[in-house]
Amino acid sequence: MTTIEDVHRSDVRRGTPSAAVVEARNLGRDYKFGEESIHALKGVTFDVGEKDYVAVVGPSGCGKSTLLNLLGVVDSPSQGTVRIRGHDVGSMRDREATSFRLHNIGFVFQRFYLMPTLSALENIELPMAEAGKKKGERVARGRELLAYVGLGHRERHRPSQLSGGEQQRVAIARALANNPAILLADEPTGELDAKTGGEVISLFERLNGDGTTIIVVTHDEVLARAAHRRIHMRDGSIVDE
Amino acid sequence: MPLLAALLLIQHPLQRTIAIDERLAEDAHIRIGDRVVVSGAPNATMGDTVIVSAIVKRGADPAEIARSEYRVRMHLDQLQSLAGYGDRVDRFAVATRGPAATEKALAEINASAFGFEAHRSRDIAVETSKTFQVVSRFHKAIGFITIVASAIFLLCIMLLKVEERRRDIAALRLMGISRYTVVLSVVAEAALLALVGSALGIALSYIASTFINWYYQGVYRTPLYFSLITPPILTLAVVLSLVLGIGAGLLASLRLARTPPISLFGR
Amino acid sequence: MRFALAWSSLRRHTTRTLLATLGVAVAAAMLLDMVMMSTGMRESFRELLLSRGFQLRLAPKGTLPFDTDATIKNTSGILTILRTNPAITTVSPVLGGTIQIPRGNRVVTSSALGINPLVQGDYELLAGKDPLADDAIVGNDDFLKATGARIGDTLDIASGYDPELRTYAASRKMVLTGRVRFLYGAADQLATAMRLGTLQQLSGTEHANDASLFMIRIRNDSEVEGVRRWTERMIPGVSGISTATALVQVDQRLSYFRQLAVILGSVSLFVGFLLVTTLVTVSVNERIGEITVMRALGVSRSHIVQQIVMEATALMITGSIAGLGLGLATGHYLNAILSSFPGLPVAINFFLFQPSSAWTALGLLALSGIAAGVYPSFRAASLPIATTLRQDAIA
Repeated sequence: MTTIEDVHRSDVRRGTPSAAVVEARNLGRDYKFGEESIHALKGVTFDVGEKDYVAVVGPSGCGKSTLLNLLGVVDSPSQGTVRIRGHDVGSMRDREATSFRLHNIGFVFQRFYLMPTLSALENIELPMAEAGKKKGERVARGRELLAYVGLGHRERHRPSQLSGGEQQRVAIARALANNPAILLADEPTGELDAKTGGEVISLFERLNGDGTTIIVVTHDEVLARAAHRRIHMRDGSIVDE
Repeated sequence: MPLLAALLLIQHPLQRTIAIDERLAEDAHIRIGDRVVVSGAPNATMGDTVIVSAIVKRGADPAEIARSEYRVRMHLDQLQSLAGYGDRVDRFAVATRGPAATEKALAEINASAFGFEAHRSRDIAVETSKTFQVVSRFHKAIGFITIVASAIFLLCIMLLKVEERRRDIAALRLMGISRYTVVLSVVAEAALLALVGSALGIALSYIASTFINWYYQGVYRTPLYFSLITPPILTLAVVLSLVLGIGAGLLASLRLARTPPISLFGR
Repeated sequence: MRFALAWSSLRRHTTRTLLATLGVAVAAAMLLDMVMMSTGMRESFRELLLSRGFQLRLAPKGTLPFDTDATIKNTSGILTILRTNPAITTVSPVLGGTIQIPRGNRVVTSSALGINPLVQGDYELLAGKDPLADDAIVGNDDFLKATGARIGDTLDIASGYDPELRTYAASRKMVLTGRVRFLYGAADQLATAMRLGTLQQLSGTEHANDASLFMIRIRNDSEVEGVRRWTERMIPGVSGISTATALVQVDQRLSYFRQLAVILGSVSLFVGFLLVTTLVTVSVNERIGEITVMRALGVSRSHIVQQIVMEATALMITGSIAGLGLGLATGHYLNAILSSFPGLPVAINFFLFQPSSAWTALGLLALSGIAAGVYPSFRAASLPIATTLRQDAIA
């Protein structure tokens, strides 16, 4: 079995060394709908350490996904700061944020979002190609990652030829392509049945065991229980940990 | 015959009159009542002095397009004298009492005439309008290519339009609406779209046609209409867009109606 | 990778892509034809005028060559004057006329050119010999067909037909020595050529020293305008027509076709642009989730724009390449129609293919392809990632 140490050959992280991978301080996010202002996130403060495995749980509309978007640098906070590996990501401009995501964040989505016209291997190659890696290097790493998620024999298959669980495992492999500092997952088991969901949960546990920092937003009790820490949210705030 | 007439403004009084076309009047600044000298050769020193008695509007003659000659009408005997034509004429125009009389006159003249031949005006018109026959054939060929391009365009748009409705069609099928109703509703929408598009196209073509006529009538200084939107053309445009619209709608909707609704959602 | 993505998204809807390519191909064919027409007929006419190296033509004052029946008197005197100019290397006088050839109980009427066979620039000899002797005549295929004559046959040639008396002013027996193709001949025109002196004799005493046209070769192209002005000064009653002035005249007469080419070319380009823009916009809308995810994964805005523009350009270029062949075929067909234009030399190509025409059409289409991809790509690349993903998930 390939381990994450094999996969993380070059674990070069950018930014100032810090004990916490993620530092969120007094985070807030407001949305305006006409005259009305909605506070999706209010005064959220927490840290995520190296090799941590955190589950963010709470009812729908509590601000979990908003928090994940801020941590994933796809959105900017209205108040407070987010630092990832020492970088203040909340104030980054689009170009900088895009580059940061490419090299430091791995995303896993509920609906997998694999490119339907590309094979499993090509899907994993995509972030590496964007990072300017050469074809040979991309293919080698893509195969290692596919082997890691147990899909070494499915590299030429298109998403439509894979099951939901397999698609999500390819999506996880894609998220790991550029050795990210953290893996962010938004309801990764939301579209899967219990069995395939269980496979994804096991994969997360193995990944974390091999050193990957994971933050997962979920309604899935089994997945939440698998995490080392659980952050409970309600109405945009952390209510319990 | 080609008119060899040089016109010079002079001051001599004379009785004979001529009519000139508006283009000549405009370019040479000639007005009614002006006296001019007409001669049969470009560098002639002598000529007849005549009075301009009329300025005439040019006819809408396709054969004159892009030709910059001026037109002068004068008494036959004066032109014969100027051109050294003696008592000769180029042609006689003969009016008859109807088609049957034309045929009879034609046969009789050609049987007995010495030195000339009678032709139907229609045949002469065909012969002299060869330029426009060529242009007309060219326009028809261009029109055909345009229709092919428009047909493909329309087909493409209709396919896209129906494709956009994948989820709606899937929802309708899941609700238990029959394939027939789904196809019919899409086809009706396609037909309506084609009709509205045709109406807009007709409005646009009227604007374009008005502009083309205004522009080319100015360029060629002629009252000729360069672009005419006729009922058969309108009918062709509307029928074509309807047939293509409905055809494309039918093809695309049948394909979607045959696909299981779940697959339609899955895209 | 961007190319692979662009290619794969085009392959996703094969029917749609094929239809769009076909639509672009037709638009490209039309555009190519119009580019060919806008420059072709001018270039073709220029090539025709210069095909035998005569850069200057003298015609009766105020007329174009053979535009009227007017002639230039005193041909021998004019030749003497022209030969005094050292810049002039060759002079070819030409007289135009009409001849009649009785064949059984019918009379064939043909145009005739009186030329100097040693320096003529009006025809190309296809078979037989030039009309070097006084009684020699050459004819084109239409003439040979209409008269049924063959090379070596002796023909009765008459001229000056009087319709009142049904008599000829002059006639003589002549030998058909060659089959020729007239460079400036119109479609279906019966045409012959003989020595200038022979046609002058046939045309009667009134035209015994006449010419309709003088074609002049000049040592250097840079001297053409100087010689033109010199001839007009030295020989009253003639107009000197250089290739440039003849082209201006042709431009005026055929301005309709040039304008039509501009209008139809622009419409074709716009239709192609509209088709590709619509297709790419719809395709981008369908893939908005995928594109946003690519952005979330760290793919830059510029790379998204590049990929979508690449799709649009690929559609345009594929269609254009297909349209190139189609355009050449339709251009050939349209040229065949316009070649029968009355009074115009059949050798004029309205749709002359020049590599520059193809490059111009391809360049314009590629540019419009890029333009067609710009709007949808910028729109897609600028969407807020978080909001778009949420909306896509809800959808």
